[in-house]
Amino acid sequence: MTHDMIPKVLVTKIGFDGHDRGSRIVAAGLRDAGMEVLYTPPWQEIAAVVKLATEEDVDVIGISSLATDHLIVPKLMAALREAALGDVGVIVGGIVPDEDEAMLLEAGVARVFHPGSSMPEIAAYVRELAQRCRQRRAAA
Amino acid sequence: MRPVGLEGIDDRRQLARTLSALERGEVEAAALSRSLAGRLGRAHVVGITGAPGAGKSTLVHALLGAWLARGQRIAVLAVDPSSPITGGAVLGDRVRMGEHGANERVFIRSVAARGHLGGLARSTRAMVDVLDAAGFDTIVVETVGAGQSEVEVVQVADTRIVACPPGLGDAVQSIKAGILEIADILVVSKCDLPGAQGTAHDLRDMLHLRPGGGVGAWVVPVLPVRYDDAAAIGLLADQIEAHATAAGSGRRLAMGVTQGQAQGSAPTGATTGPAGDHPPDPHATRVAAFIAADAYVRALGIRLVHAAAGTVTLAITLEPRHVNFNHTCHGGVTFSLADTAFGMAANAFGTIAAGIDTHMTFAHAARVGDVLLARSQEISRSRKLATYRVDITREADGLLMCSFTGTVFITEQPHTLSPPQDTM
Amino acid sequence: MNKPIDDPALAAWQAEYDATLVGPDRAVHNRSGIAIQPLYTERDWQPDDASGQLGLPGQAPYTRGIYASMHRGRTWTQRQLIGLGTPAEYNTRLKGVLAQGATAVSLIPCNSVFRGYDADQSHIELLGTCGTVINTADHMDRALADVDLARTSCALNDPSPFTLLAFMLATAQRRGTDWREVSGTSNQSDYLSHYVANHMFFRIALPGARRILADHIAFCNAHVPRWNPMSVVGQHMQQAGATPAQAMAFTLASGLQNARDCIERGMQPDDFLPRFTFFFDISISFFEEIAKFRAARRIWARLTRETLGAREPRSWRFKFHGQTSGVDLTRQQPQNNIARVTVQAMAGILGGLQSLHTDAYDEALSCPSEYGARIAIATQNILREEAHLTDVIDPLGGSYYVETLTDQMEAQILHTMQLVEDAGGMYRAVESGLVQRLIGESAVAFQRQVDAGEQTVVGVNKYQLAEDAAARPTNVRPDRAVMQAHLDDFARFKAARSTAQVQGALDALARAANDVRDNVFGRVVEAAQAGCTHGEICDTLRREMGFGHVQAMV
Repeated sequence: MTHDMIPKVLVTKIGFDGHDRGSRIVAAGLRDAGMEVLYTPPWQEIAAVVKLATEEDVDVIGISSLATDHLIVPKLMAALREAALGDVGVIVGGIVPDEDEAMLLEAGVARVFHPGSSMPEIAAYVRELAQRCRQRRAAA
Repeated sequence: MRPVGLEGIDDRRQLARTLSALERGEVEAAALSRSLAGRLGRAHVVGITGAPGAGKSTLVHALLGAWLARGQRIAVLAVDPSSPITGGAVLGDRVRMGEHGANERVFIRSVAARGHLGGLARSTRAMVDVLDAAGFDTIVVETVGAGQSEVEVVQVADTRIVACPPGLGDAVQSIKAGILEIADILVVSKCDLPGAQGTAHDLRDMLHLRPGGGVGAWVVPVLPVRYDDAAAIGLLADQIEAHATAAGSGRRLAMGVTQGQAQGSAPTGATTGPAGDHPPDPHATRVAAFIAADAYVRALGIRLVHAAAGTVTLAITLEPRHVNFNHTCHGGVTFSLADTAFGMAANAFGTIAAGIDTHMTFAHAARVGDVLLARSQEISRSRKLATYRVDITREADGLLMCSFTGTVFITEQPHTLSPPQDTM
Repeated sequence: MNKPIDDPALAAWQAEYDATLVGPDRAVHNRSGIAIQPLYTERDWQPDDASGQLGLPGQAPYTRGIYASMHRGRTWTQRQLIGLGTPAEYNTRLKGVLAQGATAVSLIPCNSVFRGYDADQSHIELLGTCGTVINTADHMDRALADVDLARTSCALNDPSPFTLLAFMLATAQRRGTDWREVSGTSNQSDYLSHYVANHMFFRIALPGARRILADHIAFCNAHVPRWNPMSVVGQHMQQAGATPAQAMAFTLASGLQNARDCIERGMQPDDFLPRFTFFFDISISFFEEIAKFRAARRIWARLTRETLGAREPRSWRFKFHGQTSGVDLTRQQPQNNIARVTVQAMAGILGGLQSLHTDAYDEALSCPSEYGARIAIATQNILREEAHLTDVIDPLGGSYYVETLTDQMEAQILHTMQLVEDAGGMYRAVESGLVQRLIGESAVAFQRQVDAGEQTVVGVNKYQLAEDAAARPTNVRPDRAVMQAHLDDFARFKAARSTAQVQGALDALARAANDVRDNVFGRVVEAAQAGCTHGEICDTLRREMGFGHVQAMV
């Protein structure tokens, strides 16, 4: 891996649920896999997430959702596109019913990770997604 | 592609991308700074550093409130350490700037140190220049303040603030050089807690010991502050402005001229310490290199606080893994701390010095959560032998925990260090 | 076994055990890190009446149960958590559950309520998906329609500032029911565990939440004497990754902290301790959970009596509600969760709980369906009436394994409690982040074990199957149109209120927040009676007492 491809990843939660055990573990896991991680507490407003992603120039955003907060992820995707951040990769991890997974992918989410996904699997995917997103941005 | 560095505050996305380009070395830092030279000097750059536990991020958050109320636009560069083992980092400072971070007139960028001692300072300087050229009124550079690199980064600023947690006690002595010497303003945080007044007192005493800067020189204030006390924060903001007027304004740009180009005028205005900005101490540089190459020291979690000829100060925060079956700090841990402070001070003179005799007395038991400081001091030296004393104190109240003496045999062999782990 | 074996029968067993093993013996540890042997005998534990460690049910230190007759005399309360959609939808579901044999009411509000918002301040997609939207006394009245408040015990998941209880008291008063007859629990009223582990009511800063809880306890003691205002929570921390011993230690330390806060307010231990209850997660580590609860009873009895100086036996009794742990459930092959919940429930029952909630098998996928909720209740009925788990009190008492493990869990719990005490007590330990750090470490360690395959999760890291999507139940979502109608109705309600009355009550509340001689919860109740909304009450208190900031620590 070249020196300057250190993925910059935002791990956050939007909506109302506060359970963050999973997102903390993922944030720590990504750090241990050599990435630079911006970790926020739960209950972030969509506008705040967009501002953060803009200023920090993140490669990937990981949304943790255990209750039904994933239902507002399409709103986040729209806000990102409007802020010219459409090339930032977004993944969702947590409890997402099957019928909603298709909806999320339609909205532009790159991948949904369900409970039972292993940390190495997540880290490998995030790294690869970050690389793709950065190349897309450089080409733009 | 549009010329880099010419974006204004409103083009946040492009600003962020320029900062990324600098961070990744896609754009040459010095060249970019030169190209922006004509547009610099509007922003006042404030460097904030200090020991962990001083609540720097909370201080920055409080200052953001004061500056926003005064109509300013502020940018923050928050520097966090990278793991020397994995190379990754959790950039957590921004989170503590919560509400104000969401304000349109605030721009926050988190930067991972990536283990580079000198390089960070170079790209940080260029990042500050980009933000200056963009039109921010105040730019904050915030670092952890534990080692040499943090000192260099903060030297990028016009006004330097050092935040100290209360209850430092004798430890004030151990961190005086390197970090405190560059301070323009000293802040004692959490001033409602016990020990705060004592720390303020110790800091003022220490300042009196420094040679003055002459008539009209800036007098370094020591401000006890509670971060939720708006009046105290307002006073601090006033002091920052006063320093800008008296001494700080334009200082970083003047320094930029002398650094890296070996030409140009000395800094204008009064200086803060006895010799103004001094070049890095070779002992300190060597000790920092020793730490980077010492896997055991890093695995234990020992960090460098200060190093100069014949003296090294280290710190460790005790975690459950340091503790024995009696729930107290394992003697091997404190011994390792003392031995490292001793050995590194001895080796920092330039040749290999081998420990041949040591003795340790344990006075008090330390527990999980305690921060221990070990300060070594050379007490005698001949051609072949040198003796050191190391005191280990508890940072919170200065209580002496252990006492160590050690002797080294001085060889003439140079060191061959393995390179620091680079996991990129 | 560590001890030299001089007993020939045991030596023979050991020899045969070693001979029949294939490969080296495994080192087994439970979740709390205690080494587990293949066999326990009287060499590991013997009843020792002199030390008084075991005792009998209903007698200090209550290791075998807090009451003499336990479940044989009075079965555990079947208290299933329910909450979904609008108040009317909740009422329908509630009546269904009561008809199936649940003996008490439980209410969990929508996440927007936990967050301190009214429904009209929230994204409509998120309303009513995991709990019921209740923002006023009227809503509570509708939710509890046809429920006799004088005869039905209600558990409200109602964190600070306890607006749900305030709405319920307003409703009781409207119906002419005396507050002295109202019974139930302010479930999860413990602000410390919320702060630490699931942040669910991160609405009022720590010091404010501490004060409001003390006010709440004092108010209920005086005016609602059959209500349990203090529910100390261990569930959140165990779900966040604390080991069972850690979770119990932190919970007991919280209980101790809350008790000390009450004493500092001038209350006598015997006045408030009898109304302290506890709320725990029950994991699938069967014997560990049983031992955890037995050890806890013993520790709490000693703590209340010796440390807090309580004199009456009612004060020494460790009463707790258990909920089967959702964290052990899987999305893969969800029907397996029925087996998991059964084992967890058994552990809670044999551990001597006072009330039980069993998760539905689809809890890991979404809000539980009615179908899943039915099976959860049937599970309890089967355990009680087919497996006859209530016929014998503390049936595992005297087991060499369970008694040894109880002692070992007690030692672990006390060790962690000492760490907290050294840090200045639970409030300081939470404020400084020590507790969060320890829990985080345990969470990461457990995840590593799962990722490495050392801890099996059936269907996830072993015995996986290609999934059959048809086997997964479909999702239950509140009807969007019904919710919109509810919002419209809410808007009409707000427009029709007396602004003067509402503002007056909120002003009184604001003044109380700044005056330590006043009782904030009392003013919350008055505000509820005056028609103030949940969001208005929370906003006022947030403004006066500060907003709680989350420590995001990784």
